[in-house]
Amino acid sequence: MARTLKLDLDCCVNAGECYYNHPRLFAMEDDGAPRLLLTSIETDDDLREAEEAIEVCPSGAISLE
Amino acid sequence: MATAEDKMREFLRRQIDPREFDAPAFQKDPFPLYKRLRDDHPVYHDRFHNRWVVSRYWDVDSVFQSSEAYTRGIYEEDGPYEFGSKHVFGPNILEYGVGDRHRWLRNIIAGQFVGQKLNDFLPVIDMIARELIARLGTGSDGKGGFELVTEFSTQFPIRVISNMLGLPREDEDRFVDWYQALIAGLGFGGEHLARGIAARNEMWEYLEPLIEKRRKEPGEDLLSRIIAAELDGKRMSMEEIKGFVALLLAAGGDTTDKAIANMWYHMLYTRPDQFAAVQKDPELWSNVFTEMMRYDPVVHMQQRRATQEIAMHDEVIPKGAIVLIYLGAGNRDERVFKDPDTFDIFRDDLHMGRENRSGRYKDGKPGHLGFGMGQHFCMGYAMARQEAVIACTHLSNALVNPRPKVEDHPGISSPSIDSGGFRSPQELWIEFDRKAEGW
Ligand code: HEM
Ligand code: SF4
Repeated sequence: MARTLKLDLDCCVNAGECYYNHPRLFAMEDDGAPRLLLTSIETDDDLREAEEAIEVCPSGAISLE
Repeated sequence: MATAEDKMREFLRRQIDPREFDAPAFQKDPFPLYKRLRDDHPVYHDRFHNRWVVSRYWDVDSVFQSSEAYTRGIYEEDGPYEFGSKHVFGPNILEYGVGDRHRWLRNIIAGQFVGQKLNDFLPVIDMIARELIARLGTGSDGKGGFELVTEFSTQFPIRVISNMLGLPREDEDRFVDWYQALIAGLGFGGEHLARGIAARNEMWEYLEPLIEKRRKEPGEDLLSRIIAAELDGKRMSMEEIKGFVALLLAAGGDTTDKAIANMWYHMLYTRPDQFAAVQKDPELWSNVFTEMMRYDPVVHMQQRRATQEIAMHDEVIPKGAIVLIYLGAGNRDERVFKDPDTFDIFRDDLHMGRENRSGRYKDGKPGHLGFGMGQHFCMGYAMARQEAVIACTHLSNALVNPRPKVEDHPGISSPSIDSGGFRSPQELWIEFDRKAEGW
């Protein structure tokens, strides 16, 4: 079943770990904020990358629902 | 009206002779040339050394950020590497450009230097700083004097890293000796280089059985983690592990020790007035760190190779060209910082807190460029700051009335900036009245 990747921009500190490590899922805006490129997590690869991103994010701004 | 002759004179005045990069004057004080680069040649084609130079803040930012247009991978992913044969450290595995392998290698150890892992390590950092301060001698009258570089700063981060790696504490002094020989070899060449390589070989001989042992009985330490890390079922070879350890010593030890020396230099010689404020409120050491990383960072230059043709200002950098990123020049860009040539720990136009990989901050202020940014952003950013701030805070708390021993100091210099040499004072003698109560 597809899951949804979410970003909490208030919580995010622009650390950038998500978009440097997972450019398939996240992109960097000019102000350093991340933008989601993929919200619906369907394949195993997507899921692995999403979970890794959650792990590397220092502020807990990324979640999967 | 400007005559043709005036115009010609102006044109000639602006020209940069590429041999200036090799001149002692540049190694000693690169900032005047940086300014000419920023003002007159934001993209400078150095035909003599066959390379391109960027120097303005936002150009430095853009090269660091554009992983699709530049690579740091000087060694191709499929080898061959000749570890350590050419240089003291030799090529190391983190020299890879963009890609899964780089990310994998980064992620093996990146987590070790931030967050809770770093917090867990703070007591060790604290203990090592205290031990070194206890070693500083005082006379029968209580007065003391010491040379910061040999007696404190080059002793400190290497002991911290050797602890992280889980090396036996009783061998720490040997490790420090090897390390100092290695670093001298990197910086000064000649006979130092031969001694550096000999020290490296001794160190590697020492490490091999230890690596074998950890392979069989892994612990919680960093060395065990490096040994155990896997990608697609493959682990690092012995040579790769040793290269990794060497990288950590250079990237994490040599830089941080020089950072501490630069901080003290600027407090003692450049801003004794602000030093007084720091002694009253040691939390300001964190600002000293940040402003040092802007005004006079340890690392001034990083190198990339263009992977596509790049148009910038009025120039076109061809595919395959070597691009030097002068972050030390970007940090002094008057387009970004007010009075960029003033060292000021209270500046309000610089992000003073912890750095991050994107170089974008929610307070809207620009950060210093001293850790790079983007793909290869320094992995030790949080640790270096903690180490430097803890060491400097303890030292300034422990010493009553610390002051420079000599009035004139030759200043901060680099053996060779344009080949990536680090900038720091070679010596820094400090005197004090006595050690404070409890030290
Ligand atoms: C004040 C001290 C330090 C300074 C000035 C510094 C500076 C830098 C710079 C400028 C880079 C970027 C290189 C590039 O863009 O090509 C870098 C990368 C790196 N730093 Fe630091 N560093 C410091 C401390 C540390 C510490 C304490 C560690 C580790 C314990 C460390 C580990 C690394 C590593 C492993 C890289 C390579 C990252 C990669 O290629 O992905 N550094 N450092
Ligand atoms: S890793 Fe986390 S804190 Fe950093 S930019 Fe991404 S979401 Fe924000």
